[in-house]
Amino acid sequence: MIPSGIKRGTAELAVLSVLENGALHGYEIARRIQKETKGALHFTLAALYPMLYRLEKQKLISGAWETCQNGRRRRCYRLTAAGEKKLVPLRTAWSELFAALHRLAGVSKA
Amino acid sequence: MVELRLKGIRLTEQESAEVSEELSDHLQTVYETSAAEGLAEQAAVEMALGEVSNWQELRTKIESSRKKEPTVNQRVSQFWFPAFLSLFLAQAGLMLIQTLGPTAYSRPAAIGPRMMPPTAVYAAWLITLPFVGALAAYLSRRAGGRASSFWAVTFPVFPFLTFLVIGLPLAIALDDHVARNLSLPLFLVSFSGWVVFPAAALLAGGVSVQYLFDRLRRVPHH
Repeated sequence: MIPSGIKRGTAELAVLSVLENGALHGYEIARRIQKETKGALHFTLAALYPMLYRLEKQKLISGAWETCQNGRRRRCYRLTAAGEKKLVPLRTAWSELFAALHRLAGVSKA
Repeated sequence: MVELRLKGIRLTEQESAEVSEELSDHLQTVYETSAAEGLAEQAAVEMALGEVSNWQELRTKIESSRKKEPTVNQRVSQFWFPAFLSLFLAQAGLMLIQTLGPTAYSRPAAIGPRMMPPTAVYAAWLITLPFVGALAAYLSRRAGGRASSFWAVTFPVFPFLTFLVIGLPLAIALDDHVARNLSLPLFLVSFSGWVVFPAAALLAGGVSVQYLFDRLRRVPHH
């Protein structure tokens, strides 16, 4: 299990990355992250939504209410142009971090 | 359930309604998915409830993550415009009543300190103030104000309050006549007539409108 401090740092990258492929609602974002990291990253509601709202305030993502086929209203989040821009240096920064850790402690690149 | 747990969250009504709806939907989906994956109902409920261990902490986090500094335009529409309109209307009403009547409950002292406010209670003016307060609250709330609406409603009493709390002590310090002519009962009548009663009258109208807004803006949640 990854400690929470490291998780917090990766959360922004994780959310922006899963939204890169299209709009998702909160639950689906959490599920997608959990699935794609094979359970290493797990976001509960309490961890996810404050972060989504913060990213929305920073205009990196945008949320809009949509009605599903079953008539349920859901708030879907999309990556904004600013979010797409932000992803590039974020990825670079994390890659550099993993490379540095690899050199230092033999940690493999993700 | 979510709405109850988030009660008192410092967001606009629309925002808190949307957050409640969104979080309720998330918990509902966790429950439904867990149940569909074969979990017993009780276990699925526990799975959903386990998403939040501390609602107070979540409330604080959501507040700080959504908190926006109001823009200049928002400040104007939520506070400055309703505040100055209510001040103008209250003053205009007072001048009109002073000119046309009816007379005040207690007339200003014929001989008194120059800086002492008249010890008068304008009952007719007080009757008009709930409408002024209601209008200020309506304009402020319509613009999305919440705490600012309270200050906008009570704004007309601030000039009087400033005078009695700052101007009068200064006058006492600077002018012997004021100090000699001032008495506690006189001060209390002035303070009641120009601050306490008007504030109560303004708030009576303002709070009524706030209450109506709260009732009308309440939206059904899942």
